[in-house]
Amino acid sequence: MTKLIKYSFLIFACFIEAKPFESTYEPLPSENILIRNANIYDGEGNEFNETDLLIQDRKIVAIGKDLPVGSEFLIIDASNKWVTPGIIDIHSHMGVYPAPGVSTSSDGNEATSPVTADVWAEHSIWVQDPQYALALKGGITAFHILPGSANLIGGRGVTVKNLQRNTINSMKFPDAPHSLKMACGENPKRVYGNRQQAPSTRMGNAAGYRKSWIQAEAYLSRLDEYEAKSEEAKEIGYAPQRDLEMDTLAGVLRGEILVHNHCYRAEEMATMINIANEFNYKITAFHHGVEAYKIADLLAENNICGALWADWWGFKHEAYDMVQANIAIVDQALGGKGCAIVHSDDAIGIQHLNQEASKALAAGLRAGFDISKARAMNWITSNPAKAAGIYDQTGSLKVGKNADVVIWSKNPFSVYALVERVFIDGATAYDRKNNFQPASDFDVGIISPEKNRIEE
Amino acid sequence: MISQSKKVLFLVFIFFNGIINSESILIQNATIYDGKNNNAFVGNVLVDGNKISRVSTANLRGDKIIDATGKILTPGIISTDTGIGIVEIGALSVTRDDSSDLYKIGFSIYDAFNPNSVLIPWNRSNGITSTLTLPQNTDSPIGGLGSFFVLDSNLEITGIKDNVMIGRVGGSGGESRSETFSIMEDLLEFASSIDSKDMESYQDAADLIDDSPIAETMELHPRDLKALYRLINDDLPLIIKANRASDLLKLIKIKEKYDLNLIIMGAQEAGLVANKIAESDVPLIINPINNIPESFDELAANIELAGDLERMGITLMFNAPRSHNYHLIRQGAGVAVANGMSYEGALKAITLSPVEIFNLGDRGQIAQGNIADLIIWDADPLEPSSMPEKVFINGKDIDLTSRMSRLTDRYTKNKDKPNGYRN
Repeated sequence: MTKLIKYSFLIFACFIEAKPFESTYEPLPSENILIRNANIYDGEGNEFNETDLLIQDRKIVAIGKDLPVGSEFLIIDASNKWVTPGIIDIHSHMGVYPAPGVSTSSDGNEATSPVTADVWAEHSIWVQDPQYALALKGGITAFHILPGSANLIGGRGVTVKNLQRNTINSMKFPDAPHSLKMACGENPKRVYGNRQQAPSTRMGNAAGYRKSWIQAEAYLSRLDEYEAKSEEAKEIGYAPQRDLEMDTLAGVLRGEILVHNHCYRAEEMATMINIANEFNYKITAFHHGVEAYKIADLLAENNICGALWADWWGFKHEAYDMVQANIAIVDQALGGKGCAIVHSDDAIGIQHLNQEASKALAAGLRAGFDISKARAMNWITSNPAKAAGIYDQTGSLKVGKNADVVIWSKNPFSVYALVERVFIDGATAYDRKNNFQPASDFDVGIISPEKNRIEE
Repeated sequence: MISQSKKVLFLVFIFFNGIINSESILIQNATIYDGKNNNAFVGNVLVDGNKISRVSTANLRGDKIIDATGKILTPGIISTDTGIGIVEIGALSVTRDDSSDLYKIGFSIYDAFNPNSVLIPWNRSNGITSTLTLPQNTDSPIGGLGSFFVLDSNLEITGIKDNVMIGRVGGSGGESRSETFSIMEDLLEFASSIDSKDMESYQDAADLIDDSPIAETMELHPRDLKALYRLINDDLPLIIKANRASDLLKLIKIKEKYDLNLIIMGAQEAGLVANKIAESDVPLIINPINNIPESFDELAANIELAGDLERMGITLMFNAPRSHNYHLIRQGAGVAVANGMSYEGALKAITLSPVEIFNLGDRGQIAQGNIADLIIWDADPLEPSSMPEKVFINGKDIDLTSRMSRLTDRYTKNKDKPNGYRN
């Protein structure tokens, strides 16, 4: 094998196996903990009262009544308190639209071309965003950061642990799949239409996605063709040249990258399902979906989650037909086979996803559905974990999963419930009582030199 | 002297008295938070015509009885910072009537108000019975007039025209805030110099503008002049949006110098200068759920702000983070309580305080003789999951149907029919 061939083979090996920017996450120091006598929503639709939760070696090892433990366990009495899995937000722009919202760190939209599948949100993240710590006090243990919605295909999203660190790789959720942000409707056609370029219409949007997928199919078939060759043939042939945009789109067609599609109107979501079928890829979730309730059964038939707000509306024409029962209707589609997620898209909302779920649940009950609080808890725990591709690791209090756990002062469906303690991988990340909370470097000495930005 | 706003109020009351319900309504056995006093009590409220005619723990008689046993009764909620009636769809300028390029200080949104806006039934079904609707900020640091509207959907507007002026310091502007304060003071100096005689004719006003460097530079119109005159002479409430602690202090100095009826909105750093705010008795409109240091003016943003300010004796009112759902001041109030504010204080901030600060007449409190804007809740009104069961505006039992409730029905009932043929 000549050096050249060896080299090109290596490139190709990277091509399929390439995992640059791999997670280097390391958890905080942990203890073995027994949370005693808690009321529990497990994120699997169950409620347990006066029940113990056992955390050992960073994992959930048991859930049950009167669990016996040795003296080496830290025992936390959670009588009259509530315990849930760590809350997960499937739609965040923290880090890419950090606070303060200034032009110099407005890094969420590469609005220079309608298709920018080559950009990765993780390369925009400002790790000192002071908003992560605020979200932590709302029980957020993991969140999915997306590029914005200016583009038809906006680039890759990334799922992170809510532990502020000095590099992005050290915040990345280990083994979480990459995602792809796509956007329907008003935003892309406004951004590019205003510049007298395509797309300026919804039909222009549809053409734009399809053209990209046609390119991606051709790229993938060149890859497949090359991969199918014998080792000898590979040695004499050249590997196809890598293309960052096509890497991402081919990753979707191969089922390795999850599609998260910003889309408000019912008929546009249906069109996007047609396009996904035409090119044989899967849409994991529609985001915002103010009209998801109009096609709830269609979403359920296609196993597509609706990542939705409880009540946002009216800021755009495509957000005009809001109903507060949207989330419940999506949840209850096909007799309860729907996948509903409460998302925030907002640094305030992410701190109160429990309250947003509470509003959505109440609206569902008023619309006549029979939905338990335990099930509604899935909307902000297991369902977003599934949509982020991390459900095998977190999102519910199943034995064997990461000990991502929140202790609440009251029932989390109440506005008066405060987060008392947050564990990420069995380690205390926030403890209200002992005033144990992170502060980013941004927070240090910025108002008065001797203090952090927020001192409680 | 009867101020202009009071004159308007007087007319409004005459109008209300014309609509008398034929039968009285007795709300019986409700848990009453009256908006003013600290303790709830179980009692009865008699509504006669558009007024509350009795509030009592003793038995009362009425023509129509509504049993509110176990239910909370509050005054109608008043939202103090909205675009209700002047913005239908945020991103569609053809549905917006909230800005003017021509008028800088006297710009009024009153005549643009649309009583048929879909925002009205929606916010009303969530407990908002009246609103202060404010324009966008104009190019001037003070200017733009907001109005008070009762959300009764009557095409003949019920409200108080131009009862508040707005303004802004800091934020996104590129110019120095020092320039902003200078313009503000120049305008106030000019306003103080205006004599009522100066406005007797259009020509007089135009001459005055020509003689004033600041009025000329800012290309003011006689309409702007009248608004400035009212600001100084009619004690017109002035809501200035400002957040940075140093800006709040400067505004307090300006208030004192010109004897302004100042209210500060935003006030994210009020906690750093709470003593001064309390001393000078400046009410605040804050968003208790907003703890994001969204700009370099708001670094001290803090979820415990509402409770901290309440303990300093500062009068608070609330606004909401997102357009269209102005009723979310209830959720904000709940968050304020969760983080240290008193329940009664939070309720007062969205009922009686706006009435007292903006002179909105006999509203905001469940008391004999007041206008009957009342809500019977299905649960705690500060829980965002709660909803009104009954809403009374001007004593009238309001239908709670909204476009949203209609769409919900459309997609949860009669699903065998194609959607176009459902109700």
